[in-house]
Amino acid sequence: MKDRSIHILNFVGLSFFEPAIRLASGEEVKKNLIALFKKVFLPILSVGLFLILWHSGATYLYNIEKDARIEKALNDRGEAAALEMKTCIESGDISCQPNTLPSPSQVWEAYKSLLADHRVITQKKVAFAEKVAVTNAQREAQGLVPIKYTGRPSFVDQILTSLKTVFAGFLLAFLIAVPIGVMLGLSTTLRSSVNWLIQIFKPVSPVVWLLLVFMIVKTLTRNSDSDSSFIISFISVGLCSMWATLVNTSMGVSSVDKDYINVAKVLQLNVGQKVFKIILPSSFPLIFTGLRITLSVAWMVLIAIELLAQSPGLGSFVWEEFQNGANDSNSKIIVAMFVIGIIGFLLDRIMLTIQKFVTFTEETA
Amino acid sequence: MAYIELRNVSKSFGVGKDRTQVLSNINLEIEEGEFVAIVGFTGSGKTTLINLISGLLMPDEGEVLFKGEPVTGPSHERGVIFQNYSLLPWLNVRNNVGMAVKEAFKKMTRSGRKKRVEEYVEMVNLSPAINKLPKELSGGMRQRVSVTRALSMSPDVILMDEPLSALDALTRGNLQQEILKIWNKDKKTALLITNDVDEGILMADRIIPLKPGPKATLGPEYKINLERPRDKTALNHNEEYKKLRNSIIEYLIQIGEQRASKKENIYTLPDIKPVIKPTPFGRLNFG
Amino acid sequence: MTAMTIMSCGGEKKKQIAASDSADNTSSKLLIEKPQLTFGFIKLTDMAPLAIAKEKGFFEDEGLFVSVEAQSNWKNVLDRVIDGQLDGSHMLAGQPIAAGAGFGRQAELITAFSMDLNGNGITVSNDVWSKMKPNVPVGEDGKPIHPISAKALKSVIDSYKNDGKPFKMGMVFPVSTHNYEIRYWLAAAGINPGMYSKDNIQGQIDADVLLSVTPPPQMPATLEAGTIYGYCVGEPWNQQAVFKGIGVPVTTNYDIWKNNPEKVFVMTKKFVEQYPNTATAVTKALIRAGKWLDAPGNRKEAVKILSMPEYVGADEVVLANSMTGTFEFEKGDKREMPDFNVFYRYHATYPFYSDGIWFLTQMRRWGQIPDSKPADWYHSKIKEIYRPDIWTKAANLLVEEGHLEASELPKTDGYKPATKDFIDGKVYDAKDPLGYINSFNIGNKEAKAEVSSIQ
Repeated sequence: MKDRSIHILNFVGLSFFEPAIRLASGEEVKKNLIALFKKVFLPILSVGLFLILWHSGATYLYNIEKDARIEKALNDRGEAAALEMKTCIESGDISCQPNTLPSPSQVWEAYKSLLADHRVITQKKVAFAEKVAVTNAQREAQGLVPIKYTGRPSFVDQILTSLKTVFAGFLLAFLIAVPIGVMLGLSTTLRSSVNWLIQIFKPVSPVVWLLLVFMIVKTLTRNSDSDSSFIISFISVGLCSMWATLVNTSMGVSSVDKDYINVAKVLQLNVGQKVFKIILPSSFPLIFTGLRITLSVAWMVLIAIELLAQSPGLGSFVWEEFQNGANDSNSKIIVAMFVIGIIGFLLDRIMLTIQKFVTFTEETA
Repeated sequence: MAYIELRNVSKSFGVGKDRTQVLSNINLEIEEGEFVAIVGFTGSGKTTLINLISGLLMPDEGEVLFKGEPVTGPSHERGVIFQNYSLLPWLNVRNNVGMAVKEAFKKMTRSGRKKRVEEYVEMVNLSPAINKLPKELSGGMRQRVSVTRALSMSPDVILMDEPLSALDALTRGNLQQEILKIWNKDKKTALLITNDVDEGILMADRIIPLKPGPKATLGPEYKINLERPRDKTALNHNEEYKKLRNSIIEYLIQIGEQRASKKENIYTLPDIKPVIKPTPFGRLNFG
Repeated sequence: MTAMTIMSCGGEKKKQIAASDSADNTSSKLLIEKPQLTFGFIKLTDMAPLAIAKEKGFFEDEGLFVSVEAQSNWKNVLDRVIDGQLDGSHMLAGQPIAAGAGFGRQAELITAFSMDLNGNGITVSNDVWSKMKPNVPVGEDGKPIHPISAKALKSVIDSYKNDGKPFKMGMVFPVSTHNYEIRYWLAAAGINPGMYSKDNIQGQIDADVLLSVTPPPQMPATLEAGTIYGYCVGEPWNQQAVFKGIGVPVTTNYDIWKNNPEKVFVMTKKFVEQYPNTATAVTKALIRAGKWLDAPGNRKEAVKILSMPEYVGADEVVLANSMTGTFEFEKGDKREMPDFNVFYRYHATYPFYSDGIWFLTQMRRWGQIPDSKPADWYHSKIKEIYRPDIWTKAANLLVEEGHLEASELPKTDGYKPATKDFIDGKVYDAKDPLGYINSFNIGNKEAKAEVSSIQ
């Protein structure tokens, strides 16, 4: 049981739990204590150090802003105004708060308020559903689309929307890049003939992809009233992120071990069998490395794309908060930053685990 | 008419200035049921020769005939055991063998195929490891899988490309016996490529040295009239065996020196004296 | 945050009550062709009618289920309405007019509802203000006397020019009220804000001040970064500059043109023809929202609603400054401005032809309309875009339902009487657009022969 759980944890890339488990079962106490110190205590220490640095940095910036405000009041309107400004700032009145990098505690508060906000919105959704239940039943009877919730999405909804967009984009990238990559890998002629195109399109920025997709989708959805921003953003995410998979697949397929090809020849496999039984499995490790890069790129460009495409999600959340410029907007932006980072990290771990499943690296037995 | 026949076969690789002729004017005849060993240095074109017979390569000049018909590509009739096993690392033993059985016996039922796979895996004593992946197996076990895969297709000819050269001496000896045992059962035509003269003498009816490439050609053939089954330890005291072994090794050393002296004209060798260990059983470890 | 939660809960209850009211008499209402709608807006306080109509349940009273989405900039708003991604939107009064007159992207847009009057301000950076201040006459209380003319800015522009720095200011869109207002303000003091031509649509020909486009919510940040030295924008972005201590508002558009039209609610002509009842219902809800906003005592609640992150999202205290009838100029110089944000009084919601024609005259004045047009063109063009007929239909229904008094409907042919409520005292008579264009020192002129008026 113990070894099994350690094995699973290592497999999914959470190896830092290993010493704790071993320690708990009283195994090699000294060695595992050192390992625990290295793998758990030091990372926590570095996080703590980061928080201290952040806090002191934020305090420093806050003081600069504060002093500048008081001095400005003094220069412009005299001593009384300066004193008034000082008391105002110290009282915590938001009408005169210095606007700068928020401190960790402010960000924590913002996080809690976003969660509270989510609960409120969830309640609202339920209330809305009850309210339109009758109308929707009537509409359904008439064969019309039911009325959807019209309120603002909560932060959690935004995260889910973003994940939806990123997975749709990732799926698109997968469906385009893998088949094309296989074809390119199989044919040197094809590979050299489209190599230029790939090299030109690969470095194109997410913004340009978005505009390009926008031009096309806009025309294609000309006669539909539906909101095409989701379509536009997930296609853009897919197109931005698919290149790593495309290149890796074609490389994996073109560099299949000659021995395996010989096996295929000796067994007289037909083309389909050769591709599906020999070439694809042997290029899986490279394809999955590509897919892993694709997913992290997709998550990275998503924010920029959502922001520009006006499609709901974390990107537009960040942008809206930036535009709001309210007292807690900066803190909310930083909450979003951490959420984006943590989700990115988790997605990468998931891909790593899948990648380990399909990889058959030769180990000395 | 011979079972396998190579007539004036030449093969070159590369383009333009870099083009080198690997095999030149090879003539070889193998009769049905015969076990032939070709002994040569590493890089002398042995694998090319096997690939020509199996149909993985086509000759530039001359022709390769199998049962009187020119070879146009690989066929299930000629099973190949590769030097580096060439097992598919993502498939376990059962599926590696099963894939070959499925291709060779397309009309067989699923259960029939399953039975055949298990039977052949049992033949090389690998039944306990049937669900393991190649990476979980030792080198010797992997080569056994490779042998099983080739034999399970029931080929008319077995082509073995240095199948045992990567194994340690003990495993090597065991596998030699095992392959002989299997071969003895139905005496299929076999061609063994090896760099080990002893292995050749132990297993084959006829040994032909391959002169080192480029432009490798076959040397004079040596008939081995030792009785089967041959016992390795007993052979060491057999006079005929000793004589045969010495003359083959002498021939090989002689052509080896020719190659070395040729090379000296081209390359300046570093001033290091090679440490040559005494070779038991006279094994030539050029590779 | 707490305040917001309480607020939204309160709003929710009211909505439910309103919804249950409407459930009884849905049959007597207009047959709604498209109940689920998405409207766009830019984060500005003058989007308030949309937020109020939604939060106070006016939309749902009409059987409309409306989502509102903040948009990134005015170009985006225009594109998304024209492309049908939005069913309607909060827009600059100049946008549907320009789209019809052929400046920028052309489309058939209509407006049946004017969202507000006034509401803009011109803010300059702290540095510019410190140089401008000595030129501004000071009253007895030691505070600058308003309205401040751009004459105080002239010497500052010259000194920047002498330092080799072109004087740059931001406005929100080429056809926005802000562009015409800041131009009017500058030109009234003899400063050339630059002309447009057929080939040069930057609007910087012969300019003393280089005007460029910046989306409203980004104005304070752009000013702080030093990319521009001042800007003309709607609220809360002038008050935001005061709070963040990065700039000083010098004048408001109330001083430039008293009770000038500002934002309108725009739908496409196609939408209105396809869903006529829906369009009328939307207008009904918006008229009620406008009335609610100008009813005494409601502004505080309005500020709370607007400060919710899905609407304007700025801090309440910032929004309250202008929305509750005051405007803070220099920090500490807070003045009463009861008419700074007008949503309903003075028939603010009625789409007057004369308001639309003013924009056409300014487009012609600055060369956005490059060719001479006859006076008739001004009148017929505006009638394609401004649709008081829909407004009147909606208002009459509201009178029937008891939400409006019949006296609240203006008795008009769509033209306001001639007025001289401008910073320079010029007379504007919408019935004589060509004569008005010719009355300016700076700007395009029309040939005398073409001057005619419909009387």
